[in-house]
Amino acid sequence: MSIILDQVTKHYGGVPVVNDVSLDIGDGEFFVLLGPSGSGKSTLLRAIAGLSGVDHGRIALHGRDVTHLTARKRGVGLVFQNYALFRHMTVADNIEFALRVRHVRGKLRRQRRKELLRLVALEGMDERLPAQLSGGQQQRVAVARALAHKPEVLLLDEPFGALDAKIRDELRRTIREVQRELGITTVLVTHDQEEAFAMADRIGIMNLGRLLEVGAPHDLYSRPATRFVATFLGAANLILARRTADGIQVCGTTIAAADRTPAANEHEVVAVVRPEEVELAPARAALTTNYLAGGVVEEVVFTGALERLRVRLDAAAHTPLLAHDGSDDNASELLQVTRTQHEQRGFAVTPGQNVAVGVRRVHVLPTPLSSFTACAASAQLAEALGREPLLVELAARMKTRITTRSEPKMGVAEALCESADFVGTTVIASQTDCAHRSEWLLRRGARDLLVLPAGATAPQRVLIHWMGEAARNATLAMSASVLRHVPAEAVYVGIFPGQAGGRGPHGMRELLDARSEAQAAHGLEMRTEMRFGEVAEELARRLAEAPGQMLIVGVTELTRFAERFRALLDGGHWPVLIVYRGAP
Amino acid sequence: MSAAASRVLVADAARPGQHTWLHSIVRWLFITVSLTFLAAVLLAPLATVFAMAFAHGVEAYLKAFADPDTLAAIRLTLITAAVVVPVNTVFGLAAAWAIAKFEFRGKSVLVTLIDLPLAISPVISGMLFVLLFGLHGWFGVWLQEHDISIIFALPGIMLATMFVTFPYVARELIPLMQQLGNDEEEAAITLGAGGWLTFFRVTLPKVRWGLVYGMVLCNARAMGEFGAVSVVSGHIRGLTNTMPLHIEILYNEYNFVGAFAVASLLTLLAVLTLGVKTLVERTGYRGH
Repeated sequence: MSIILDQVTKHYGGVPVVNDVSLDIGDGEFFVLLGPSGSGKSTLLRAIAGLSGVDHGRIALHGRDVTHLTARKRGVGLVFQNYALFRHMTVADNIEFALRVRHVRGKLRRQRRKELLRLVALEGMDERLPAQLSGGQQQRVAVARALAHKPEVLLLDEPFGALDAKIRDELRRTIREVQRELGITTVLVTHDQEEAFAMADRIGIMNLGRLLEVGAPHDLYSRPATRFVATFLGAANLILARRTADGIQVCGTTIAAADRTPAANEHEVVAVVRPEEVELAPARAALTTNYLAGGVVEEVVFTGALERLRVRLDAAAHTPLLAHDGSDDNASELLQVTRTQHEQRGFAVTPGQNVAVGVRRVHVLPTPLSSFTACAASAQLAEALGREPLLVELAARMKTRITTRSEPKMGVAEALCESADFVGTTVIASQTDCAHRSEWLLRRGARDLLVLPAGATAPQRVLIHWMGEAARNATLAMSASVLRHVPAEAVYVGIFPGQAGGRGPHGMRELLDARSEAQAAHGLEMRTEMRFGEVAEELARRLAEAPGQMLIVGVTELTRFAERFRALLDGGHWPVLIVYRGAP
Repeated sequence: MSAAASRVLVADAARPGQHTWLHSIVRWLFITVSLTFLAAVLLAPLATVFAMAFAHGVEAYLKAFADPDTLAAIRLTLITAAVVVPVNTVFGLAAAWAIAKFEFRGKSVLVTLIDLPLAISPVISGMLFVLLFGLHGWFGVWLQEHDISIIFALPGIMLATMFVTFPYVARELIPLMQQLGNDEEEAAITLGAGGWLTFFRVTLPKVRWGLVYGMVLCNARAMGEFGAVSVVSGHIRGLTNTMPLHIEILYNEYNFVGAFAVASLLTLLAVLTLGVKTLVERTGYRGH
């Protein structure tokens, strides 16, 4: 492996800008770090170069631990967005700089310079000053300069940001060719997904300091694991659907899922429909694919090779459309469609036209958090709960929606629910008899329950714990899903009954197992803490220690739930997400 | 201005780049006003200096420089400048580097402190040193016990000049360094250069013209400083008189030829400094 990052973390003013990133990059690989601005990708690149230190974690280049080595000694080649050429030196002096520093003899230096200038197609420009070159040429010089000392790793920090489209294209090709010719391991940072697709062997997508997903461009595009990646890489329609034994049920139509994993039981999922996977036809019978719903064309934009449309689905279809990309709020009720010239010729549409909508392919996100339902004793209270800042923020970040539900008899023993069906995550307000209400809801079918104190804000630390192995996987999946959208630190709290040493070796193994499973299966990096005592009390004590914490707790057993969880739930100032996976 | 005239001016302003008769009249008017003002306030006094210096002929002019006290004053001024300019250059570089490259507590305080000598009267700057190192000052007794003289001696003059000329280099470099950023230095470090090499091969060449410009301004002020030096020097002829102080003494003694001769030399030095400055502006900033 050329580059190994192990739990790299970097804070600025207490906020993690790079959060527990672990990554292996192979020899000769072209790896692209893709993410929106402020996602921590440039900071990570600078950490690899050694220009900024890390607070935690390890960086190895070609098997050599360089975590505590200065940038000078790491011997990487770095190319900056704004070229950073030495403006008072000629092209020749710029390129030879690294060789001069290393006291390479004049003849060898000139030879290497010629070689590099040929590589970046700038022969004969030796005596020019940077100011006499165009932006594209300057960046070529910067690449040549970064390669002069034959670094083992080439790092490119948004190298095309300041160039216009045509030159960017040309330079992209040059860099890719140079990279192939030299077989040098390369990491490129960009916010441009087209660039990432065009150049990468593998892409790593970052958001809020976390490395969310890593994979080949095609895999990431066709099978994203998270909402963020689904909507960040290209356009995507997110639709709330149900996974049933037969496949994916959307608006009453069942579509065979591409990835066939037998569903344990029916539950709500988030489905991704790419705009190009949507088919339009004059009538349902004319569709060659699965019928989704009827709709009205709202907007048609011709963009050359493709036609972009927005279709409003019939209200009768009750299609729970989520956002596409979060760019505009109104659009969330509209289905995005792109069609090729060929499709346009087959069936031309104009705004206002009624069409039948079909889908060719649906991808289901494995994320457990699908939607939120704010649940309270009255519709008014539920509305108010639905406007809680943390809930609104979570829903916005996850590009999902909040519905409300009133349960006037919540907590009344023997009383039944207004509606038996619980979908997604149920949210209740934190108040005095919260533990009792929680038990009431869990016993009546709620599986994921968020207890939210008034005015809670996004947590800086998420504590994770589960009682009973049956809830482990679900708790980890839920935690991973939350932490992809919140820039917080994850801490697994292992709690052993009684005094230290009681169940030592066995408990420890369990804890380490859990940690490696979290990392392998969910890409979740957790810190671990050990405590001794009664579970709920210890958790409550830990939560009370500092503000800005949240708890995600897995539960398998509801016996004496209210009693056991009173300390944790009743009037606590912290949000608690209960993941209940009991025996049915 | 009458309504008609203002309407004409507005109409002219609405057509930029078009040469009309009005346009050229306005242009000549502005140039004439500024040149006249310049001639009256600047050139006439300068001419007077030289006219007075040569009023009794070249011989009398040259004789003025034969006076050992005058020569001592010239020497003292040059020595002071030769010490003060390098010291303030080093300080200015260090301060500009710290302010432009690092974030630290009290940064804004440091920026304000650098400007302080520009804000307070030079006489008060001189008084500060008298209060500190004078016979009745804070360190006065201690200095006397150890037989160290600062006030009414060379060290005092240098300290006062240094204080007054303190901001010039730093002021020139801070915005330049902030604007040029840190990327080139970072590039040099990733290419394997150490701290000193990066400074001398990358940072210093990058800011060299700004630095020279700051040093020129610093030098001009160091040679011409009167107020602060006057307070700390004690006006001892042949020992602690700089050129500006010596000119004043000669003038007060009605030795007009001597006074204006030395004044003309000081003026020449100033013109020379400004010449260097212009040259720097011509060649140096072209590259930016």
